[in-house]
Amino acid sequence: MKFKDYYETLGVPRDATQDDVKRAYRKLARKYHPDVSKDPDAEARFKELGEAYAVLKDPEKRAAYDQMGSEWKTGQDFQPPPGWDAGFEFSGADFGAGPGGDHSDFFEALFGRHAKAGQRAHMHAQGQDHHAKVLIDLVDAYRGARRSISLRMPMLDAQGRVTTQERTLEVSIPKGIRAGQHLRLAGQGAPGLGGGPAGDLYLEIAFKPDPQFRADGRDVYVDLPLAPWEAALGTSVTAPTPEGQVQLTIPPGSAAGRQLRLKGRGIPGMPPGDLYVTLGIALPPADSEAAQEAYRAMGKAFDFNPRAGKKG
Amino acid sequence: MTRTELTLVQAPVVEEELHLTLVELCQACSAEEEHVLAWVLEGVLEPAGDSPQAWTFGGESLRRARLALRLSRDLEINPPGVALALDLLDEIAALRARLQRAGVA
Repeated sequence: MKFKDYYETLGVPRDATQDDVKRAYRKLARKYHPDVSKDPDAEARFKELGEAYAVLKDPEKRAAYDQMGSEWKTGQDFQPPPGWDAGFEFSGADFGAGPGGDHSDFFEALFGRHAKAGQRAHMHAQGQDHHAKVLIDLVDAYRGARRSISLRMPMLDAQGRVTTQERTLEVSIPKGIRAGQHLRLAGQGAPGLGGGPAGDLYLEIAFKPDPQFRADGRDVYVDLPLAPWEAALGTSVTAPTPEGQVQLTIPPGSAAGRQLRLKGRGIPGMPPGDLYVTLGIALPPADSEAAQEAYRAMGKAFDFNPRAGKKG
Repeated sequence: MTRTELTLVQAPVVEEELHLTLVELCQACSAEEEHVLAWVLEGVLEPAGDSPQAWTFGGESLRRARLALRLSRDLEINPPGVALALDLLDEIAALRARLQRAGVA
């Protein structure tokens, strides 16, 4: 198990006041909240912040943590000394309910068993609804798909012990689904308590990042590079779509950045989305004498100053 | 570890095929009824129907309610603050989509 320096995580000195701790946490939490931040590490950072704050905001836990001494650094191998928490009493009530919910091994080893005590207090008759995210390919939204998904869920067995249950569900992804939409799987959430019905499972759909296509709602975007003469003179080219290639007419005089709309070629539905092809212009490399000669000939043939109108 | 295999055929798309009642929405995002009432009052959620008993929430409400819940829980934002944050997040998303359409991002 690796040690975690919670003071370092929040960027506060070990003698920071409770107000300093709170202020530092709030500031970082706003910055790294996964719903607000576009930082790819935001979710991991936010979980670490929540864990650090769960310990340092609570004077009892902070005192227990401080007792470990200040010599430890994040990432060092660590075992809690036997009986390290003697004399401390944690109130487990709001524990584990903090941001993220799941904590590091380090946290669990130090504070985890105190947290479990309070968890059975909730007696909803209906099981809780669960949420999970499913990544699909864009083409799945065009054609529909079946996806096997594995879910791991902590469960309490008859003796009250926590066990992990793995379930595999085969889900039909309907044609026309868009990122951010949810599927509801009735009765696939947590089992009910005291004979109550099971909760539901909600699956949020997200698209895997695609090197070529970008989806925005029902519409899909793709870049299409052209040679300068193709853009200038017009042509007919094969263009990629998520469903396969189509023949596309490029009008003469197409500038870079021009968008062609292929109506109804976006994500299917009522109405279907559109596919937007953004034209770009790629220059052939001037890496041979013949190529350089061709560029020089072009320069002679045109009376063209691309910077006409730029002053300063 | 226990394993269970199941096969499912169809699941409805919440945003298109379902309308949630107040009780269902609370259950679906583990929110307290009083929070949902406060968010409706601030315009975060816009159910159809005259009274809380008659309210029906469109599927988009599920995403918004979960976002509102996370923001208020994680950052301790009150309902007017949640409403402001959601408006700004919507605006940022719209601007990002415009950048993407323009091929900038």
